[in-house]
Amino acid sequence: MSTPDAAASSIEPLGIVARRGQLLPLKTKDEVRAALETYRVYVVEVPAKHANAVKDVIQAALPDLRTSDFGHLRRVVQFKFLPPHLQKTFSPPSRLPRGDEEEEPNVSEDALAEELDAVRFFLVSPTRYIQHADLLLALRQKPPFDIAAAPPRILYATVPALAPTSAEQAARWSIDYWPIAYKNTNPYGPHPSLVTRNTAEIQDEVGHWLALAKATGGQICGLGLGENIGCVVVDKTSSVSKVIAVTGDCRWRSPTGGPMPKEGHGNVMAHAVERAIAMVAKKRLRVARTDPNLLDRQLFCDSPLTDLERHFFAMDNLLPNGYLCVDLDIYITHEPCVMCSMAILHSRFRRCVIGRRMPLTGGLSADVTIKKDNGGIKPGNGLGHGIFWRPSELNWKFLAWDWVDEDNTDAISSIKDTMHV
Amino acid sequence: MKTIKTAAMDADTRAYHERFMRDAIAMAELALKSDETPVGCVFVKDGEIIGRGGNETNRTLNGTRHAEFVAIAGILEKNPMGVLKETDLYVTVEPCVMCASMLRQYGVRAVYFGCWNERFGGTGGVLNIHSDPSVDTPMPVYGGIFREEAIMLLRKFYVQENEKAPEPKQKKTRELKTEIAPTDIHAPKS
Ligand SMILES: [Zn+2]
Ligand SMILES: [Zn+2]
Repeated sequence: MSTPDAAASSIEPLGIVARRGQLLPLKTKDEVRAALETYRVYVVEVPAKHANAVKDVIQAALPDLRTSDFGHLRRVVQFKFLPPHLQKTFSPPSRLPRGDEEEEPNVSEDALAEELDAVRFFLVSPTRYIQHADLLLALRQKPPFDIAAAPPRILYATVPALAPTSAEQAARWSIDYWPIAYKNTNPYGPHPSLVTRNTAEIQDEVGHWLALAKATGGQICGLGLGENIGCVVVDKTSSVSKVIAVTGDCRWRSPTGGPMPKEGHGNVMAHAVERAIAMVAKKRLRVARTDPNLLDRQLFCDSPLTDLERHFFAMDNLLPNGYLCVDLDIYITHEPCVMCSMAILHSRFRRCVIGRRMPLTGGLSADVTIKKDNGGIKPGNGLGHGIFWRPSELNWKFLAWDWVDEDNTDAISSIKDTMHV
Repeated sequence: MKTIKTAAMDADTRAYHERFMRDAIAMAELALKSDETPVGCVFVKDGEIIGRGGNETNRTLNGTRHAEFVAIAGILEKNPMGVLKETDLYVTVEPCVMCASMLRQYGVRAVYFGCWNERFGGTGGVLNIHSDPSVDTPMPVYGGIFREEAIMLLRKFYVQENEKAPEPKQKKTRELKTEIAPTDIHAPKS
């Protein structure tokens, strides 16, 4: 049985139809920053044969310059490789002594092309390193600019501050800013090949699990106990996927078990993700032959409450000796709130897919929302937390994707955009 | 809103808060006795403690069973949700990102903590979940009450864990624990 078939056989007998759509990897906090930050640089037009000499002059004048900080920017560029807007500002090249002065001066188009071929545009440094006047002075010390007739042209360009995270981005930036080198790495997020491999591994099943998540959310919501939010925890470490936990949101369940009046955000601890994590833990206790109800409390709502929840909770399908939610994947109808995003990180999940973004409350997306003048926020792309991938600050990271439905039928039930999922 | 350091408080005010932090420390000590990361908390309404909690992550195998969750689960069994809006939290270690978000969603009135949590702190240690843009009103936070005592308890826990280390554990768990430091939850770097 192939994996998608296993996924289908988990949900079809339950009358659930898979959603069709596509995975979109979420951008990390650093990737968002990398895509936005720019700075100004000096560019000097130099005769091609003097490019190396000028490089030495700059190195001597700016001993603190770390060229590795802008290793993503091509240092010496031919005119024809400049982006169109810079070609416009930088043309025509000045006539510099090139050792070919004895030749006839020529003004034809061919000659202009030749002129352009003979010059290079040298990226000196970010402008913060040196003042214009001091740079001019430094360049004037050595050939080819040490003769009065040949003053250097100091030009400016705006460049991306950080390295590109994909080949497409590098190509785009090379047209919008400055020629960019792409090294097929991603210092600001998961390596592209890692994302590709993981996307391929799960993509045939995602529609199934998101449909199951929606169904379980719908069941518990139908009882008046929670919002229309659900999640599914899957173990995909072997060739056949296993559903470990299926839970719905339970925030409107009173301590005595019935529905309660909908005031405030309800019982925050009973979000679908928190309940799913608790059910995984209970399964682990059961596998370890310990009382699964150890230290249990009503308000955690971590016992199965619907047919779907009970169906999957009853299966003893976790391997013994596992740790938290290591190696497990979580599929959620909506982007989890900050609390649940961090709960996923604390639990060390491997991968996370969300059926829909929550720009006002979600904790995973790294995109930033627009702030209103009064200090409030209005719908934008997100809160900018990007909790799934902040390895320099948080000690675990996982891959995360958004999901886009193919037929655009909004298969996911909508909830208020101010709701914490 | 920045997290306020309690060193700036006047003596009477500090004494008031220290009284409750003592109770939070007692909960952390209790957690330590149960081989849990020693973090404890109490919730205070109208000058009375209405709930207590200590970490239960190890015994439940659930990485989210932090002291704050445990205490709130107890409180809400006997009180309506709204009670938390008139309640202050005293916790030995800065709430993590997860707990900070939970506390703000419930509308807890204010948070007082002992030492900073440089690994997971959600109220100034790493992120500022108490004051960042949100659909919820910001939550005032005060840090530094009995900071040394809170750190000392965490150190004791590390020593205790290391002493137990030679006894064979599940391979995966042990690997993770050494890779990520003795405890993942509520562990400041200092
Ligand atoms: Zn949540
Ligand atoms: Zn916490």
